[in-house]
Amino acid sequence: MRSNSCLYSPLARLLAMAAIRCEGLTKHFGDVVAVDGLDLTVAEGEIFGFLGPNGAGKSTTIDILLDFVRPTSGSVTVLGHDAQVEGRAVRQRTGVLPDAYHVYDRLTGRQHVRFACEMKGATEDPIELLERTGVAEAADRKAGGYSKGMRQRLVLAMALVGEPDLLVLDEPSTGLDPNGAREMREIIQAENDRGATVFFSSHIMEQVEAVCDRVGIIDRGTLVAENSIDGLRDATETGETLFVSVPAVDASIVERVAAIDGVADVGVEDGRLRLAVGARSKFRVLEAIDGAVGPIEDFEVVESSLEDLFVRYTTDAQEVEA
Amino acid sequence: MSAIAVAKKDFQDAIQSRALWGLVVTFVVLSTITTYGYTEAPELFGSETAPTFGGLVFFLLTFTSLFVPIAAIVVGYKSLAGERELGSIKLLLSLPTTRREVFLGKVVGRAVVLSIGLAIGVLVGLLVGAVLIGGLDATALVAFLGLTILFVAAYTAIMVSISASTGSTTRATTLAIGFFVLFELVWDAVPLAVVYVVEGFSLPSEFPAWVFIVSQVSPSNAYLSGLYALLPDVAEALDASPEGADAGQGAEPFYQTPELGLFMLALWIAVPLVVGYASFTRADL
Repeated sequence: MRSNSCLYSPLARLLAMAAIRCEGLTKHFGDVVAVDGLDLTVAEGEIFGFLGPNGAGKSTTIDILLDFVRPTSGSVTVLGHDAQVEGRAVRQRTGVLPDAYHVYDRLTGRQHVRFACEMKGATEDPIELLERTGVAEAADRKAGGYSKGMRQRLVLAMALVGEPDLLVLDEPSTGLDPNGAREMREIIQAENDRGATVFFSSHIMEQVEAVCDRVGIIDRGTLVAENSIDGLRDATETGETLFVSVPAVDASIVERVAAIDGVADVGVEDGRLRLAVGARSKFRVLEAIDGAVGPIEDFEVVESSLEDLFVRYTTDAQEVEA
Repeated sequence: MSAIAVAKKDFQDAIQSRALWGLVVTFVVLSTITTYGYTEAPELFGSETAPTFGGLVFFLLTFTSLFVPIAAIVVGYKSLAGERELGSIKLLLSLPTTRREVFLGKVVGRAVVLSIGLAIGVLVGLLVGAVLIGGLDATALVAFLGLTILFVAAYTAIMVSISASTGSTTRATTLAIGFFVLFELVWDAVPLAVVYVVEGFSLPSEFPAWVFIVSQVSPSNAYLSGLYALLPDVAEALDASPEGADAGQGAEPFYQTPELGLFMLALWIAVPLVVGYASFTRADL
């Protein structure tokens, strides 16, 4: 048996009831490997951000969770049910905002939500849900005439039907203006406060950063990182990025800076040196640069955004593969 | 049963299709005109005897046997392929249902839409005919309406199943039209051509038994035979007329086992449902 310290370890998280668990998930479309041995666990009650560049396998993974697509190998359990065998039980307790969906042009917004209520056996008032997502005034218009943002709000209302235990949202802020994206985040937060697990994918980092408890980064069908946002920062050397202005920047200077102890990942950006500082003190590093390549004119410390982490994780993975 | 909810939604959706209503209006107008023509000037339609209600029913069948397949193609070819192509199937299957129920719901929803449209056309035509003839054969009316709905169900099952087999509406269109051309336009010619060649380039007076069985594979042939099976007396009365001879040309066995037609129609419901569901349930959407 493990010691008590394990309670706070990733293992403990694994042992807790998982809302979503993928094991060795693989999907081939002909010669293309869309998902490649993906292992992923989302605990009950958390907001999990599923990040990755376009084509990384996010939507395919979500399509497998919802049984739109059948995996080549591996298993998926959602809310304790096998996603392939007990899809109906999964979807009874799940609200979904799919990617690349299309509404029924000839049905009204109200008819859409009423249909979702009927299918879920829920007795909610469609108008209340549409009010919550901000399209109640268009409830009796045919959805074919809705804008992209209105359609997104309509389908979100359908996803909220029946107080689902799990919300699966594929690129939820697509088509929404900044205000709509903020409202979307508020709804995600409110649903999570109610007790729902939220799993959403995005390629927009700030969306994820604002609301997620944990983040998984997928690239080329594999999970390249999985942690809290702080944890991701700590786990990489890109926790802070240092921008340093020196009189002249060229390849030999980059080389000399890279050789300095405690410096990693040196590059040039806007005529400045960009570098990550590891274990060593930033001031020691700055001193060393001052000594090695000449007087420092200016410097700036930037805490890396999730975007930097994201770029770093996904490009590193490519380098490893190449 | 979420299949019922799916069928209901699909009905609400499809009933608003302009193409469908265009077809129904066309059908009502044409069936009224042909009925009028048949009752007022039967000789124009090759009938030497006075028009009867039973005769009208058989006459109208030659019309519905062409109309139903076309209407079923219009109503059915996009039913699932279109939802897959657009992505609305994702909304549907995000809800607690199964592919089997979505598939069945589609078949039922579209079949009901089509049956209502067809029933309106058939009833208007037959009632106009009943007034003009001055009599109504209730048995013939019920048998014809019931059989037409069976024919509609078979063609809807075929077209929805074709639609279930692909995620591309272009491909669904090709398959649907291909089915129509093969089974409705060229089907009768193939066994005849085979017999013609086998018999040394001449048609025998007596056709081998398999020709009849093969001919019944065509849904509209089965539909016609089905009406013979349901209304044998009416069919016999019409037999003397040239119309009956036309319909039964080289098809003496029709009168031996017209029930085969009913069996074939049942198969045209069952087989497409099995095949269509099998391919839909395996598909990556």
